[in-house]
Amino acid sequence: MESGLSSLLSVSIDFETSHLFFPRIIHWIMAGLFVLILMTKVAPFMAAVKRGERTLPIVGEARDNFRFFGTLVLIVAYFYFMAVVGDMFPYTGYGFLMVSMAFVLLMSLLYLHDWSKKALTIVVVNAIVAPSLAWFVLAKLFTITLP
Amino acid sequence: MEFLSLLDITFFLLAGLGALVGIIFGAIPGMTATMAVAVCLPLTYALGLHHGLALLLGLYVGGISGGMVPAVLLNIPGTPSSITTTFDGYPMAQKGEGEKALKICVIASVIGGLISAAILFLFAPLLADFSIKFSYVEKFLIILLALSVIASLSTSMLVGIFSGVIGIWLSLIGDYSISDGGNGKTRLMFDFMEPYLFEGFSLLPVLIGVFGISTILLEAEKGAKSGLVSERIKISKGGGFSLSVFKGRLTNLVRSSFIGTFVGMLPGVGGSAASVLAYTQEKNLTRDSSQMGKGAPQGLIASESANNALTGGALIPLLSLGIPGDSTTAVLIGAFTLQGIQVGPLFIPENPETWYVMMTALVFANIVMFFLMFYAIKYIAKVVMVPKHILFPIIVMMCVVGAYAINYGIMFDVWTLLIFGILGYLVQKIGLEVAPLIIGFILGGQAEVYFVKSLESFGTYSIFFTKSPIAMVLWGLIIASLMFAIVMGFNSRARQKMELTQVTGSTHTASGKGHDTN
Repeated sequence: MESGLSSLLSVSIDFETSHLFFPRIIHWIMAGLFVLILMTKVAPFMAAVKRGERTLPIVGEARDNFRFFGTLVLIVAYFYFMAVVGDMFPYTGYGFLMVSMAFVLLMSLLYLHDWSKKALTIVVVNAIVAPSLAWFVLAKLFTITLP
Repeated sequence: MEFLSLLDITFFLLAGLGALVGIIFGAIPGMTATMAVAVCLPLTYALGLHHGLALLLGLYVGGISGGMVPAVLLNIPGTPSSITTTFDGYPMAQKGEGEKALKICVIASVIGGLISAAILFLFAPLLADFSIKFSYVEKFLIILLALSVIASLSTSMLVGIFSGVIGIWLSLIGDYSISDGGNGKTRLMFDFMEPYLFEGFSLLPVLIGVFGISTILLEAEKGAKSGLVSERIKISKGGGFSLSVFKGRLTNLVRSSFIGTFVGMLPGVGGSAASVLAYTQEKNLTRDSSQMGKGAPQGLIASESANNALTGGALIPLLSLGIPGDSTTAVLIGAFTLQGIQVGPLFIPENPETWYVMMTALVFANIVMFFLMFYAIKYIAKVVMVPKHILFPIIVMMCVVGAYAINYGIMFDVWTLLIFGILGYLVQKIGLEVAPLIIGFILGGQAEVYFVKSLESFGTYSIFFTKSPIAMVLWGLIIASLMFAIVMGFNSRARQKMELTQVTGSTHTASGKGHDTN
């Protein structure tokens, strides 16, 4: 009986496939937990959605689509163009500096609800000063690598 | 006492400057103590060992402490170890008690830091002897304990555990590193991903993405309608802070400091585990845990005293075994290497002056951090007065710097920000838990190494139960922690049901009376 239990618990790990050993265990645990969550959480939630008591997350919720997707587009464009411009001026951080100025300006305008002259001036000044200051302190003083 | 001749004005100035710069680095979302130390590392070569150590230890203490500022005011942990500070700090800031929350954090931090420094000084050899006895089995069980206790922080333990396992899964993407005794092969990815993900996702971009970018996305979907962040977070004008907050919480303070020091000294188990463990223990042991997570001072005390106590604790394996206690001390090894010093069991006996200099720098940096943050916190807290349309683009910009610079210029780390920003947003929208996911991600890689190595060495799963009395004690703690969370969950549900019944009952009575009158 004891030897049966010890043979059940014994394990031998092949070095060639050892990189898959722990991930396999994690997959099984994930699958088990997922099934449990489906039964105990998701099924009652979906029933509540059917009854109209709850709404589906993300798709059923109200959202400021303009600002949400605008933010996503701006971030993607920011990351993409920073590398493109950065490649034109390698090891200078100019890619970060120039594209950050444009990004800060556009994103500030995206979130600006009241377009007054004063607010616009602050936005423009911030778009120039903040990236310049960050670039100077980080790239010049601390010699941090920037795109 | 020969070391006193090494302590000149420059030494103290550098330690103080390090603390100040560290606080600024820690307070800026996306920048951390690790980054502060990494950035200033080349300066130590010009400064020399002792002056360099003063600067780096100041940066370490300041960087860890500075993490509390965005954690409390913006709900973004400045350092991984500030995760639990957000639980109570941000709700307090939302109630207009931002300054009070920060001052509680500062006092808890300095006490945690000083207690850990005292433990480091008095018991370093003893504690090092103890931690050296931990085999892979006990190290794995320590991680399992840290992961199991965070489940009790979650609204639903099942969802918390699932989120933690997802975090572990994410940490396994990449190669099974040869340096960890693995076979160097990649997993959980397609071939075309190998150039980018061979070493997996970097920790810092993941953290910055989950806590920085996802916060921006969550705000963006609401349209960020309030013009000023200050409308959301009110900083108290009169301070609202009194030392009486600590009355009856000294046990929590000392216990959490000891937990922080203990977890810190366990090689590879970092600050997030320390603060989570201290927070959970306080939640489990306090008479009234109902307010924890909603703005309770005891949560802040537990979190901040533990994460600052980590600084002293993390230096123990570094100085006694040559193994870093966390990512920042890993960078500190670089400082010693630059000076040609080998850290390990012989470090303290062979370099007594350096040992005393380090202790002095650690204590001094804590004191400077206290004065800077306690008296200047109102000015540091002004960051919340910046309007959202000014603040949000700057946060994204600084997140980019933090992600890009940590590995000295890898653009994929910047894209990691976006990937994990969106993942963090989705996780929160579908009701999964972010903190367990991140803790799972941080500890997952080490868990694999310790688990697989244990089995390779002993060839049986039973070793995790029978290896040593320490292993059995750890299992006891794991089971106790889970049982306690289950019992607390039942109690909370029963309480909610009772309240609901009372409310329904009184509504019926009221409506009944109404009918009678009519």
